[in-house]
Amino acid sequence: MDAMIRLDALTKRYPGQEELAVDNVDMEILPGEIVVLVGPSGCGKTTTLKMINRIIEPTSGRIILEGEDVTDVNPDRLRRRIGYVIQQVGLFPHQTIASNVATVPKLLGWGKERITARVDELLEMVSLEPRIYRDRYPKELSGGQRQRVGVARAMAADPPVMLMDEPFGAIDPITRDRLQNEFLRLQEEIQKTIVFVTHDIDEAIKMGDRIAIFGDNHRIQQFATPEAILSQPANEFVDDFTGTGASLKRLNLVRVRDVDLGEWPTAISSVRREDALAQLDEVDQAFLLLVDSNRRPVRWVSRRDLSRADWNQHVGLPVRAQVPLNATLSDALDEMLTSSVGVAIVVDDGGAYRGIVDIDTVMTAVNTLRAETRERVAVAAWHAPAGAVEEGGA
Amino acid sequence: MAVTGADPRLAAEQAGSPSRLRALVSDPAKAWNTFAIPLIVLIALAALYQYLGGVELTSREAARLNQPELILRARQHVVLSVQIAAWVIAIAVPLGIMLTRPWAKRLTPIFVGIANAGQAIPSIGLLTILAIAIGVGQRGAVIGVTAYCILPVLRNTLVGIQQVDDSIIEAGRGMGMTRQAVLWRIEMPLAVPIVLAGVRTALILAVGTITLGALVGAGTLGVIINSGVVGFSNPVLITGAVLTASVALLIDWVAGIAETVLRPKGL
Repeated sequence: MDAMIRLDALTKRYPGQEELAVDNVDMEILPGEIVVLVGPSGCGKTTTLKMINRIIEPTSGRIILEGEDVTDVNPDRLRRRIGYVIQQVGLFPHQTIASNVATVPKLLGWGKERITARVDELLEMVSLEPRIYRDRYPKELSGGQRQRVGVARAMAADPPVMLMDEPFGAIDPITRDRLQNEFLRLQEEIQKTIVFVTHDIDEAIKMGDRIAIFGDNHRIQQFATPEAILSQPANEFVDDFTGTGASLKRLNLVRVRDVDLGEWPTAISSVRREDALAQLDEVDQAFLLLVDSNRRPVRWVSRRDLSRADWNQHVGLPVRAQVPLNATLSDALDEMLTSSVGVAIVVDDGGAYRGIVDIDTVMTAVNTLRAETRERVAVAAWHAPAGAVEEGGA
Repeated sequence: MAVTGADPRLAAEQAGSPSRLRALVSDPAKAWNTFAIPLIVLIALAALYQYLGGVELTSREAARLNQPELILRARQHVVLSVQIAAWVIAIAVPLGIMLTRPWAKRLTPIFVGIANAGQAIPSIGLLTILAIAIGVGQRGAVIGVTAYCILPVLRNTLVGIQQVDDSIIEAGRGMGMTRQAVLWRIEMPLAVPIVLAGVRTALILAVGTITLGALVGAGTLGVIINSGVVGFSNPVLITGAVLTASVALLIDWVAGIAETVLRPKGL
């Protein structure tokens, strides 16, 4: 299959700066695939994206779009062939939603009726009821709705290529997740060639048919499918970038109620000392968790506490690390690290003991997640366009 | 989600938005805001009329305080003020736009400096110099006061265009709008409220300063005030002052309404 976009030794040096902002980037992007450019701040991913529609003019190198060298053509006309979505959306505040979406069709001189029909079609496509939203102004919309309008506006003239610069970056996590899913569903229909910039490896793995990881040296470190990047990182940089931070971030996606909680020996705080000691011997733990009559955690007591001559209701360690059922595993891990016993106690809405989260719980959850990601990636790779599965140059 | 989330207030605003003039009088609080100034002016004029009816005027005072004379001066005052505002807009807005273009940005400090000087020089001095240079009359007064009023409009045009969010411009350029299209369809409309605020300031400056035109033969209500001062006549002085203040308040009132009506929707 011929490449939709080819970048040929694309390089950018900003005037007065010694270091290159983008160093010799070569890429072939196939029709209908989503290529995600990802990397740390200042790695050149955004500059690369903006050189494709020449918002930033390259210092050297060529840009080939649909087989045509567009490095020196009229940039305004070039941009009307390429959809463009940015993080801040950049809707025109003094124009209605319909007028915003119609920007490029108007530039291309479409007729009025054709524009109206297209605007309604697009608004429906991004799940905004045209009757309600057509005549509104951007300030009357939520952040998520504005970003949908931004996507609709970029698709207005049905360009084969869309550039998206952190399109979901300024949106709250829950809405972002929903927009990502909607967008992936939409992409199955529209089959655009999409170049997508993000700094979030999770988003890259989720959105990308292929991922290009940029390094601190402003070059591409690896350009391959998400599966290949996760299983065969090309170098230490890629391994670092996908590894540590990503696993920790994934803990944010798991709720405590969704994992198998650990068990811990408990006793009513009025328990007889001998019985408590016997219970501790039986389970081979250093601490016993005392709960009140409503099973609310009260104190941790050790064998030594129980053996003290002045044993009373106040001996032992107060319970601090408690998390509710809807906390994330990341919250639980945080609490666990501050706990003197090394576990986070999970309590229900009434404050009653439900179980514990310890390091094993977290590890099990991480392993499950990793397996799930691999599976999803494998499925995505299966659906990716032919050729996209082959490893790109690194 | 989207449908139930619709803000009924916004929907109502939209349903009834054909005329923003109507919105100015739609509820009592707004109507009071809108018509407070004309009401105050009316009361002031009535009080002035009452006062003049109770004082014995000398023949000299009577020569000043007659209807044709007062109307002539008030008309001169308004006409010159509006003329000056028109010149200010015609000069400062295009200049301001030019100075925000990349190729002219470096010239900004020079022009802002000149405009600053125009405002910093005492206007009475400027008018006198111009009267000497080009002769007494309205022309010199208009030129002098125009120079004096350029700064607020120039500065607000600069600020109005510069404050437009970069992301909005980038989105426009990124979709293939030319620089001109971005200027006329995005930057200018979004700058309108701030430019209008500058024009309003300039207009107020012009109405106040043009009273000095009386000293260089340009007429205006300044003539009444001046003869009140020269002739030690309180009735004449008070009449001149009240009329000048009334004209100033009314012109500002009209400018305020224009500001509300001309502001682009959606901002």
